[in-house]
Amino acid sequence: MKIEGWSFLLGFFFYLLVGGAYWYFSRDEVGTTLLVLTGALAFLVAFYTLYTAKRVYPRPEDRGDAEIDEADPEYGFFSPHSWWPLVVALGAMAIAMGLVFATWVIVFGVGVLMIGVIGWLFEYYRGEFAR
Amino acid sequence: MTILNEPPVTGTTTPPSSATAPPVRKQTLGKAVVNWVTSTDHKIIGYMYLITSMVWFAVAGLMALAIRAELAVPGLQIISLEQYNQLFTLHGTIMLFLFATPLFVGFGNVIMPLQIGSPDVAFPRLNMFGYWLFLFGGLVVAAGFLTPGGAASFGWFAYAPLSNAVNSPGAGADLWFLGLALGGLGTILGAVNFITTIFTMRAPGMTMFRMPIFTWTIFITSVLVLIAFPVLAAALIMMFIDRQFGTVVFAAENGGAILWQHLFWFFGHPEVYIIALPFFGIASEIIPVFSRKPIFGYKGLIFATMAIGALSVAVWAHHMYVTGSVYLPFFALMTMLIAVPTGVKFFNWIGTMWKGSVSLDTPMLWTLGFLITFLFGGLTGIILSAPPLDFHVSDSYFVVAHFHYVVFGTVVFLMFAGFYFWWPKMTGKMLDERLGKIHFWMLFIGFQVTFLVQHWLGVQGMPRRYGDYLPVDDFTTLNIVSTIGAAVLGVSTLFFIWNVLTTWKNAPHVNVDDPWGWGGSLEWATSCPPPRHNFTSLPRIRSERPAFDLHHPELAPPSARSQPQISSSASSTPGGGH
Repeated sequence: MKIEGWSFLLGFFFYLLVGGAYWYFSRDEVGTTLLVLTGALAFLVAFYTLYTAKRVYPRPEDRGDAEIDEADPEYGFFSPHSWWPLVVALGAMAIAMGLVFATWVIVFGVGVLMIGVIGWLFEYYRGEFAR
Repeated sequence: MTILNEPPVTGTTTPPSSATAPPVRKQTLGKAVVNWVTSTDHKIIGYMYLITSMVWFAVAGLMALAIRAELAVPGLQIISLEQYNQLFTLHGTIMLFLFATPLFVGFGNVIMPLQIGSPDVAFPRLNMFGYWLFLFGGLVVAAGFLTPGGAASFGWFAYAPLSNAVNSPGAGADLWFLGLALGGLGTILGAVNFITTIFTMRAPGMTMFRMPIFTWTIFITSVLVLIAFPVLAAALIMMFIDRQFGTVVFAAENGGAILWQHLFWFFGHPEVYIIALPFFGIASEIIPVFSRKPIFGYKGLIFATMAIGALSVAVWAHHMYVTGSVYLPFFALMTMLIAVPTGVKFFNWIGTMWKGSVSLDTPMLWTLGFLITFLFGGLTGIILSAPPLDFHVSDSYFVVAHFHYVVFGTVVFLMFAGFYFWWPKMTGKMLDERLGKIHFWMLFIGFQVTFLVQHWLGVQGMPRRYGDYLPVDDFTTLNIVSTIGAAVLGVSTLFFIWNVLTTWKNAPHVNVDDPWGWGGSLEWATSCPPPRHNFTSLPRIRSERPAFDLHHPELAPPSARSQPQISSSASSTPGGGH
């Protein structure tokens, strides 16, 4: 995880430096805000990643001499197929259309969106793939 | 001396990796549609991205042909000025947001998990959600053509106050803002998905500095998406609120015009690299395979990519030189600095080909076309980065020529390179080489004829985005040349479509893992097309090109030679292979 974290930490230093230099020369509030916040974004990811890296052993994918069978046999759960992304996206599109054309479409869109989000969240709590 | 449990496998003798064929089910059209619509397989989602963005490419390409036809001679022959404005606005919007950006997500989806030896992406359902947002966002934008006032007509960067409710009333413009916000959300989610996948789902032994260059570019591009797209989304939504609910964030009297330009270009310039870097990655995958050499300067290429990505966020206001309210030296310096890592990349690509055994198969041909075209675009970019020169040609056809050389040279040339290269991996069929070469030469010549002359049009003073000009302007000859080139360019695409259709029906199925023979990264160590979760077995990863080590063990590093296949329990017998 260390290289992953450092690739973001380098970004943090770079944008802090560039942001400072930019403010010194230009006194432009908008650009300085954007650059400094970009640095903050980089710090957020770098901090979390490096913090995690300190607390775990080097994973098989961090070690150059790892064998394939060292990967976790419980690799993860992968949704085999799902209707819910389509429902949620339809709700989002309905809200967008409603904002442009008519308020009642927004209400309809929020309803579809909520059904979609609930369906998405609880999809694997019941039925064939319950776990 | 090799130590192998099995005889050395080469590209021509490898049986398909899928050990047992699944039981054949009756496939109906309805089942196929449901399979795709509900899919969470990164490859199928990737194909949907690629197909949808190709459809948008065709739509926006036809718009470009209409624009070129209108501009061929003075006077308005085909479309009105308002229609012209809508066409160039939507041409730019579609090409940037609905073609090039999703094309990056498409290639990343199909290829990146294969390259890191992962069974899928980290968030399969989120992946599908991102696709639907892209599709629906695009349809919302294009729905503007169906409204009474027509689609948005303020140019793809929607400068305030031109794009506010007073100057651009109508639902078409509203749909433009919200459609792009939807699609942008999809892109952000896609980027989160890619970064998580690259961080957490690599195969054992696949360290960061063994990942293929393409995967590295996908990673850095995704970081750029995270930086740039939220700013765009914020700007779009604030502008929409300005238009609908009367807030004054982007009102000219509050300095809103410059604020919009800052926010838009803070997105807009990284966006150029978001659509360029992944395609540089494709070039970096193709050149070693067809030069029969490992990539020259692997780490240098990665650090150059990082440098380009980092610098690209600090150059946005070079699009704003002529506003007179940005600090010119800073942006000129930063922009010129980007030429350094880009030059490093050229150096690496040429160094890979140098003294290699270069074979000009279609993917390599397209990559060489990219190198030439993009070099021109890069050089005019350095010209434009100098404010005194930019003042003279800003918003002229010189700029139009510049960014078409950059973006078309990168995205379209390398997209076709990637299609010809990975087509067997995606479909199990090779594309026809002869048709591919005709396609390349027609498109290459058509492109150069269309856009080379536009440099001179710009220097003569022809402004961009004008639907008409006068005979006395003396622009007519070069415009006719440009339009003829555009027609050739348009016709060349028919060869690609014909190629796809004819090989789909007639070409034999590829039954080796690596039809090109010298593939390096892991996607060439599984069958064509790969099974549902990508690999039935993974080779041991000891270098940045594990598939090459697998297929050419005599050239692999010693630690990679013993390849534990499916039965790793059998102890290695020295000299077993001989």
